[in-house]
Amino acid sequence: MKYIGQSVPALNNRQLAAGKGTFVADIQPDGTLHMAVVRSPYAHARIRGIDTKAAEAVPGVVYVITGKEIRENMNPIMEAYDTAAMGAKGVKWYALCPERARFVGEAVAAVVAEDKWTARKAADLVDVDYEELPVVHDPEEAMKPDSPLVEPEWGDNILVTRDFRTGDVDQAFKEADGTISGVVKTQRYTGAAIEPRGYLANYDPFQDLLTFWASTQNPHPMRVFLAETLGIPETTIRVIQPHVGGGFGLKIPTFQEEPLLAYLARKLARPIKWIEERTENLLVGGHAREERLYYEAAYKQDGTVIGLRAKVIADVGAPSALCGWGQSFVTSYCIPTVYKIPNNRVQLFSVVTNKCPWNAYRGYGKEAASFLMDRIMDGVAKATGLGRPEVRLKNYIQPEEFPYSQVSGAMLDSGNYPKALKRVLQMIDYENFPKMQAEARKQGRYIGLGIGQELTPEGCSMPRSTLLSGYDGATVRVNPSGQVTVLTGVTSPGSGNETAMAQIAADMLGVDIKLVKVIQGDTDTCPYGLGNYSSRSVIMGGSAVQMAATEIRQKMLKVAAKMLEVGPDDVEVADGKFSVKGAPTRFVLFKEVASTVYRHCYGPEACDVEPGLESTRYFRHPNVYHQPETQGRFSSYPSWPNQAVACIAEVDPETGVVKVLRYCAVHDSGVVVNPLMAEANLHGGIVQGFGGALYEHLVYDEAGQLKTTTFMDYTCPTAVDVPRMEVEHQETPSPFTPLGTKGVGESGVTGPLGSLCGAIENALPHLDLRLSEMPLTPHRVWRAVREAQAHGGRA
Amino acid sequence: MISKEYRFEAPRDLGQALSLLEKYGDDAKVLAGGMSLVPTMTLGLVQPDVVISLNHIPNLDYVREEGNVLKIGALTRHDTIRKNELVKRHCPLLAEAAACIGDVQIRHRGSIGGSIAHADPAADYPPVMLTLGAQFRLQRTKSDRTVPASAFFRDLMQTALEGAELATEIQVPKLPSGAGSAYLRLHRVEGNFAIVAAAAVVEKGFKSVRVGLAGVGPKAVLVDVTSRFKGGLDDAAVKGVREDAAKASVDAYGDLNGDADYRRAMAQVYAERAVRAAVSRVR
Repeated sequence: MKYIGQSVPALNNRQLAAGKGTFVADIQPDGTLHMAVVRSPYAHARIRGIDTKAAEAVPGVVYVITGKEIRENMNPIMEAYDTAAMGAKGVKWYALCPERARFVGEAVAAVVAEDKWTARKAADLVDVDYEELPVVHDPEEAMKPDSPLVEPEWGDNILVTRDFRTGDVDQAFKEADGTISGVVKTQRYTGAAIEPRGYLANYDPFQDLLTFWASTQNPHPMRVFLAETLGIPETTIRVIQPHVGGGFGLKIPTFQEEPLLAYLARKLARPIKWIEERTENLLVGGHAREERLYYEAAYKQDGTVIGLRAKVIADVGAPSALCGWGQSFVTSYCIPTVYKIPNNRVQLFSVVTNKCPWNAYRGYGKEAASFLMDRIMDGVAKATGLGRPEVRLKNYIQPEEFPYSQVSGAMLDSGNYPKALKRVLQMIDYENFPKMQAEARKQGRYIGLGIGQELTPEGCSMPRSTLLSGYDGATVRVNPSGQVTVLTGVTSPGSGNETAMAQIAADMLGVDIKLVKVIQGDTDTCPYGLGNYSSRSVIMGGSAVQMAATEIRQKMLKVAAKMLEVGPDDVEVADGKFSVKGAPTRFVLFKEVASTVYRHCYGPEACDVEPGLESTRYFRHPNVYHQPETQGRFSSYPSWPNQAVACIAEVDPETGVVKVLRYCAVHDSGVVVNPLMAEANLHGGIVQGFGGALYEHLVYDEAGQLKTTTFMDYTCPTAVDVPRMEVEHQETPSPFTPLGTKGVGESGVTGPLGSLCGAIENALPHLDLRLSEMPLTPHRVWRAVREAQAHGGRA
Repeated sequence: MISKEYRFEAPRDLGQALSLLEKYGDDAKVLAGGMSLVPTMTLGLVQPDVVISLNHIPNLDYVREEGNVLKIGALTRHDTIRKNELVKRHCPLLAEAAACIGDVQIRHRGSIGGSIAHADPAADYPPVMLTLGAQFRLQRTKSDRTVPASAFFRDLMQTALEGAELATEIQVPKLPSGAGSAYLRLHRVEGNFAIVAAAAVVEKGFKSVRVGLAGVGPKAVLVDVTSRFKGGLDDAAVKGVREDAAKASVDAYGDLNGDADYRRAMAQVYAERAVRAAVSRVR
């Protein structure tokens, strides 16, 4: 392969670095109007009335709309997940709340005006009469029988529950040599993409065509959602995704503003733009991660974990049409990740509160499961006196045991966990660390080493879901003069997978990558596909490109063979030439073959093949099981990348400040199409992991008010705060994809969580520190140190 | 975004600026570097009817030596102060603090006058001003007075500036020869406000040991610990510094970065560390 496996620089680099990309905000048709949204200032309130007169009177205002008009003219927003099919409770979520707001920032009205300042000014004059209602702000309080309800019709605040069991967990606890228990608490945080959400909707009444430019991740599903919600035919909508400045899952539809803007554009028959402010993004652009994981683990003195009880309580915010609540399900689904534990009970409670709804955020719940297991393995090591690597090695699923069915039925495809762990320990020089640590102690410094293990299933696929399925499509077209166009159903949120698509097409067709052009994100020209999430672009989209390109190659081989007067099996293609195997001087140029097919379809070389050189193919991942009655299992994630990490951190016990000195990772996503881009993706994921481990926290008070609405308070790590990352790759191919790929998009976000907790505890061995609450801010670490000191060191 | 319309005035000399301030009173806000004002306007926290920009007035941006004092114009940008040779030689503590403010972009726009007039409890200049014993020249159309820093910072974001007054000059006494100084701050991510900060000066022979603290209450506080250093930098002195720092942080506030207990504890840690660093720099 000339390109697959090579670090080809991203095709869009020059354009984006020059500032010449086209983002939604850059699109400005003549006469573009602007929308501003009126949002609830209360976490829970009934809307008694809305007075729009003052807003309407502002010069330059074109229209003011409230929830009443939305409910009369539109369906509830189509759900990303069919909650009923998942045994979960749902709600009718409208583009503007008609009666009741259930979180601060929920949209209740909107203004369209000639410019954005006028729209905002008028929006501030919309007078909404609210009646405040009791606020549900804590998930465990919300589970109590006397709690106020987020949704009165539900009868309780539980969106969904699960109860996965294997073996006999009660018996395992009886037989154990010892048990550990505790809780791990992850905080609410989000992705903070550099480009916030934005859309531009334009309606042509003569063609009955709504063109919707969106900073989104899923143009085709968005088209379906908009059609359903607005009650109009899909064929009257064209969704175009231009360049996107990061999505991380948070730009998966459908938010209120999307059908709202679409409706207004159709009504006013003028282009209308909406680009959110950063404060809006932090307030309502989708949250994630807030979970409490209670656990008990039963172990044998040799370090084997024989029983596990886990209870996941997730605070998913207010119910909506977004797919975010599924993350709580995924946390429970992944436990116990890479380990073989014979007796388990994993319970899930997804609880709704009066906070911003969850949307998908890189990691999608898998990070919490891996974090939990890291804490448990560290805890078992401490309790037995065994080494932390030793306990992990003892409990891993072994390489020869794949495919492996986990507690929830998840089917893990392949992996070599022991090899990755051993290598990362070599990288960080685990053997010599005690000496390093002692040297540092002599200088009055406290350093520690922590280990982390990621399991990041990819390619999510759910039954009867418009959004989540393990298939995707691609069109590959060889043009008359021999250049190649690739159109994919997958999209890129800024991660650069279009380069990988070009690599695959170029290799399958044997042409120079410079001749390949990739088009993504336009529902009019690209084949139906599900966009990007769950790292599926290379797995599903790349496989579809491989299939379509291969089909064209086979056709061209036949024609080239005729041109060379040999059998098709005697011809090969590379470097733009079809040549006779073993006789490379006998060749025809790729473009000559293309020309023959297009221009001489009645001639002897091309008369036996169908004219044209265009193929649209769909790839369906084989490692997905949605028919438990006949297949005996239900498994929705086909591909299971994993990563072993180790980090060395320095702690200042006087201030709680943690500094990461080294971070090493051995990553396995099967076959890697573009190592440079995979590495770039990993770096980004690891930085977000550090953000979650040390810095980022969306904080609500008891009234449901968000206290962190700007980057001053929502502190993301900057380039200066990020440590050096050392990443190596291991390739355990997937047995199920044509190229052996597994996807790399969500890896990196998990490792820092458990490894930093472990490193801090390791740095202060004289204290019985059990870090369990994130993020590890200086204040939190300081407090944990003080509490451990008050209890007199090791218990 | 700034959605309320306002009148923008760009006076060409100080006299004009002061008249405008007199004219508009509380309806007006003064724009220097804008690094504090513009975000508050963008977030809608402040919605002035008039913005008076000082940026077109010449001769407000300077660092001059006059005898034993450095005189700094109110519109002097943080980055200028950071790099200035006179400041580095005679008041290195001020240069050290200026280098910590915000990030590169903020330092190129933000002004010393704007910063002290804003008086954020976590800002970097106030504790330095207290430690150095700075004075501020405050002018209005009818008066021209000088107020010491200790009387200037009154309460949470409240200063001695009266209505139509502008701070036009900051006067900083040079440090005595051989004095050591250090500025240390605890912050979360690069560019953020300090959680606590300590600005320490130690004169040769422990003739004077003082620490200015920020983030320990509604305003910066000066802690004079000279009397603790009768025996030099010994255990008793360190204990004394911590005790005095704790006392000075009795009004410490809690926020997302930590509760009042944490701030009080950090005030003690940073006071000690700043003093130790200053001691090590005594020549």
